[in-house]
Amino acid sequence: MDMKSQNNKISPKKKIDSFSIITICIAMLVTCFISIAVGSIIVGGAPCFIDNLKSEEVRFAFRLSFFTASISTILVMLLALPTAYALTRTAMPFKGLLGIIIELTLSLPYLLLGLSLLIIFSSPAGKVLKEMGFKVVFSPLGIVMAHILVNLPYGIRLIRTAFESTDRRLEYIASTLGASSWRTFLTILLPICKNSLISTFLLVWSRALGEFGATLMLVGITRMKTETLPGSIYLSITTGNNSTAMATAMLMLLISVCTLFISHLLNRPAYKQERQVH
Amino acid sequence: MNPCKIDIQNFSVKRGTFTLKPLSLSIRQGEIFAILGRTGSGKTILLESIAGMYPGNQGTILLDGTDVTQIPPANRSIGFLYQDHLLFPHMKVRENISYGLKMHGYSKKQQKERTEKLMEMLSITQIKDQYPGTLSGGESQRTALARALALNPDVLLLDEPFSALDPAMRQTLYKELLKIYHKYKCTIIFVTHDFSEARQLAHRIGILLDGELRAVVDGKDLMTHNFDSEVEQFLGRK
Repeated sequence: MDMKSQNNKISPKKKIDSFSIITICIAMLVTCFISIAVGSIIVGGAPCFIDNLKSEEVRFAFRLSFFTASISTILVMLLALPTAYALTRTAMPFKGLLGIIIELTLSLPYLLLGLSLLIIFSSPAGKVLKEMGFKVVFSPLGIVMAHILVNLPYGIRLIRTAFESTDRRLEYIASTLGASSWRTFLTILLPICKNSLISTFLLVWSRALGEFGATLMLVGITRMKTETLPGSIYLSITTGNNSTAMATAMLMLLISVCTLFISHLLNRPAYKQERQVH
Repeated sequence: MNPCKIDIQNFSVKRGTFTLKPLSLSIRQGEIFAILGRTGSGKTILLESIAGMYPGNQGTILLDGTDVTQIPPANRSIGFLYQDHLLFPHMKVRENISYGLKMHGYSKKQQKERTEKLMEMLSITQIKDQYPGTLSGGESQRTALARALALNPDVLLLDEPFSALDPAMRQTLYKELLKIYHKYKCTIIFVTHDFSEARQLAHRIGILLDGELRAVVDGKDLMTHNFDSEVEQFLGRK
């Protein structure tokens, strides 16, 4: 039998093996589970969504969450960028150890991180800071602090991955062309990692918006004072106000969908790859 | 005889598990020097060390008699071209070429004039507004060469510059490289594993095997010189 007839015998319909069938079934099951979880928020939140959006409490929680998450994300980026650079591009001593310490908090419960901040800012040094006007415990500033501690290692890891996946030789070439480390960072590394960095910003912001454990421990949840969106859901549920809780959850879901959508858009190839024929 | 341009004295460098063993080598002003060796023999690391990308573990590198071992690449007046060209993906062809001029503070007018001249010389003016992802291998190669030449470097370091090109394009670029060499009078060091390429272009050839410089011969003597058995084997004569 020649090659041609052999090839013809291979059916264009691809046969699916049993292992693939099992993985497809599990993937479908996972999708169903997530869809039901998300669907329950939509079903519960949609009918009362518009009415509850008008509530001053939900609007306050949104404003507070939006501003604290935005400020903390900007600060996280400002701290994570140089840290990730130092960890990936410099001959910093004890780099491995420092990397482990920085990422240690990724595996710790957020409640515990909040507790550590509470201990720090309730200490005599914390009290001195409070007297100087830097009030962290039970204040919106504490929310920003909690977000930073929770998200900083996450931001550093994402930026570090982006920097590590960039070919260092591009920076070497830039240096042979006269660029200093700072200008190489600005003109080569940052533009090449632009999409990853914007994506990191959005993910960190989204996580900050939904942060609950560390915030609860450090600033508590005081209605219309330190009431963030997740805090509002918790308060509403504990006081039996289920419709407000569901509407707030729906609002958070919408924000997450928007963030995810923008993040997906940014993950498309950055530069046109099609070959132009002359 | 031309004065010494690059003098490498007992220089060695370690990168990960690879060690470039201590080597000494003098390259003359205006010379075309080929570093010949198998893949993984340390050719690129040697070239990158000359450019100043890695600090050595021992020894010195002199450029025009000055010790540049601790001097960063930016201050060595060296043009570098990688095998895979490594154009900056977020910059157009003209921006890639003018990058070095911009870093050195040339005015916009000077950048434009010099970039246009180089594009014209290398016949890439028609692609000046394209991004690297849209270029062919030859176009990409010429752009990288123009970028390396923009600052009139004293030394041009080429890492397997022709290996990814088809034979016809390779011959065209050999001619262009020699044209550039005569025009700019720069010292050229290039890395290759192609014997005929080394013989065709280089005045002298250094043979690097397993991180060790085993021999330096005139280009024309590569196939007639008596080497030790391992080099003979590498050259396919044993």
